[in-house]
Amino acid sequence: MRILIIEDEQELNNSIVTYLEQEGYSCDAAYDFKDASLKVADLPYTCVLVDLNLPHGNGLDIIRLLKENTPETGIIIISAKNALDDRITGLEIGADDYLTKPFHLSELNARLKSVIRRRNFNGQKSVKAGALEVFPDSAEAQVNGKKLTLTKKEYDLLLYFLSNRNRVLTKDSIAEHLWGDHVEALDSLDFVYTHIKNLRRKIMDAGGEDHIQTVYGLGYKFAAE
Amino acid sequence: MRILTKTSLYYLLVSFVVFLMGGIAYYTIMQGEIYDEVDDQLFTDKENILAFIRRTNELPHVTSGVSETIVVKEVTDKNPVLESLTDTLIYSSYDEEDIPYRRLTFTTYQNGKAYQYTIMKSVMDFDDLFESTVFAMGWTFLMLLVGLGAVNYSINKYTWRNFYDTLDKIKRYSLSQYGPLQLKPSETTEFQELNTVLQNMTDKIHSDYLNLKEFTENVSHEIQTPLAIVNSKLELFMQSGNLTSTEAKLLEDMHNSVSRLARLNKSLIMLTRIENREFKENESIPMHELLAEQTEQLQEIIEMHGLTVEQTIDQAVYVHMNRGLAEVLVSNLLINAIQHNAPNGIITITLNQEKMCLKNTGEALHEPGSNLFGRFVSGSKRSDSLGIGLALVSRICSVYNMRPNYSYENGMHVLCIYFNQLNRKIK
Repeated sequence: MRILIIEDEQELNNSIVTYLEQEGYSCDAAYDFKDASLKVADLPYTCVLVDLNLPHGNGLDIIRLLKENTPETGIIIISAKNALDDRITGLEIGADDYLTKPFHLSELNARLKSVIRRRNFNGQKSVKAGALEVFPDSAEAQVNGKKLTLTKKEYDLLLYFLSNRNRVLTKDSIAEHLWGDHVEALDSLDFVYTHIKNLRRKIMDAGGEDHIQTVYGLGYKFAAE
Repeated sequence: MRILTKTSLYYLLVSFVVFLMGGIAYYTIMQGEIYDEVDDQLFTDKENILAFIRRTNELPHVTSGVSETIVVKEVTDKNPVLESLTDTLIYSSYDEEDIPYRRLTFTTYQNGKAYQYTIMKSVMDFDDLFESTVFAMGWTFLMLLVGLGAVNYSINKYTWRNFYDTLDKIKRYSLSQYGPLQLKPSETTEFQELNTVLQNMTDKIHSDYLNLKEFTENVSHEIQTPLAIVNSKLELFMQSGNLTSTEAKLLEDMHNSVSRLARLNKSLIMLTRIENREFKENESIPMHELLAEQTEQLQEIIEMHGLTVEQTIDQAVYVHMNRGLAEVLVSNLLINAIQHNAPNGIITITLNQEKMCLKNTGEALHEPGSNLFGRFVSGSKRSDSLGIGLALVSRICSVYNMRPNYSYENGMHVLCIYFNQLNRKIK
């Protein structure tokens, strides 16, 4: 799967590329509008991450270009602007998701996975990890074919873990993934702990293995091959 | 009281005293003058009578033109009155009242016999003098009153109109809404000076404000990218497997600070954007639905805090505003009520056409409640609270002319948003 990262800030672009390459994607980087339009026209990408403010042009034009030439490409906007107008225009002309800077790389990865899943590029209807199987279409999770009764948050958490296997997820990024802007209302990130505890218990009660490891001082990791 | 009314009143008061004293003085002086005049006439008469007697050796006739009234009688007394001047009243059947007279009595000898002469002259009626003095003074005073009123009115209308115009403009002046102050030039030196001073002052304030706004805007936007870079690098660093626990702890602390900074920055950008009035698309927002929706979204957090929520939403309330801002408003109020609540406390939400109120249990504040809507003011001692939530609430309120109010009643913090009548009517 090829991903194109269009971001003029070199350091940020490098970080994203490094993270995503570790996830097994092959990545291309573009740093300005011209470079990006050339690369987009050159060969089809599975997904493109577009920054809206680019040197010599606007990211929205790249989205239009993509929609014309390779409509099957997934598009995620990454922007510092967070202006409602841009968000709406971006999504209206065909972007799949919108992330405001600064974001967690794990969050970007989760959104990317979700876009790819929705577009069903890998032909899989489910995400598997050992005995655990998650069906994003129906928002269900199973262990050895047995359905798990999960709350919405527990399901979201599980999917987030599965999208970021073998990666350290900080409590902070988990909290932001689950509660979004409301994360400020959380007294401490102990809530994250409670959710993880419940999820672990439910999976193990159903006979699954505990993949969730606590990484001292940092957060949690879903360890699976 | 307006300055012109005030000065006029003082003028009138002084005028009243001056007129009173003037009247009294006028009356006394007039009285003295009249007595003087009559007495002079009486003595002239006396001289004339004596001269007449010396010349003719007989008394003048009443009709002789020498005197008006002469009464002569022989004096039998051993010590006759030589000369005396007295007042007397004589009844006039024509006027049907006593008329004041001045009487000069003197004694003179004729052929060895003493005769007492009495000459009388009518003096002016002093009651009449008093009356006319009061009348004249009263009229003058009344005319002064009318004159002052007219002058006051015209001054008010013409000379002070620029002053009132300036005053009105300053009253309505708001940094975030208007450009520099536009004042009408005035012909009055003082007002022109005032205008110039105000103009310079507001121009300075306005340019400072613009600079500050631009600075905040640029800083918060420019901070985004480095923050994103630091954040992503830290995350990459965390993924490297062989971290010691000390390193991990350091990384976590750094990561937490960066996240906090990112959230703070996000809120600041939000605040700036509200102040810049970037949210223009307004629609009719069902507040009752929004409240229920947002409470539902925060339900989990509410439960984790062990809080009880009581909602009293009697009717459908629609407010004309931007949806995004309405959501920020409601969620910030709810989050505030959750964050600053006592353990196992209560949140009471009431909504009606007039206002939306959120009450929550909690300790009284140590500082005045009016500070609560400022930036970086955090009611509790918690360090992770940014204290920007209510600043956002207050900004949103000012954009839509709604009034936020805080009070502390019976161990409950009460935060109310009073809706603007105009916004509410539009459905």
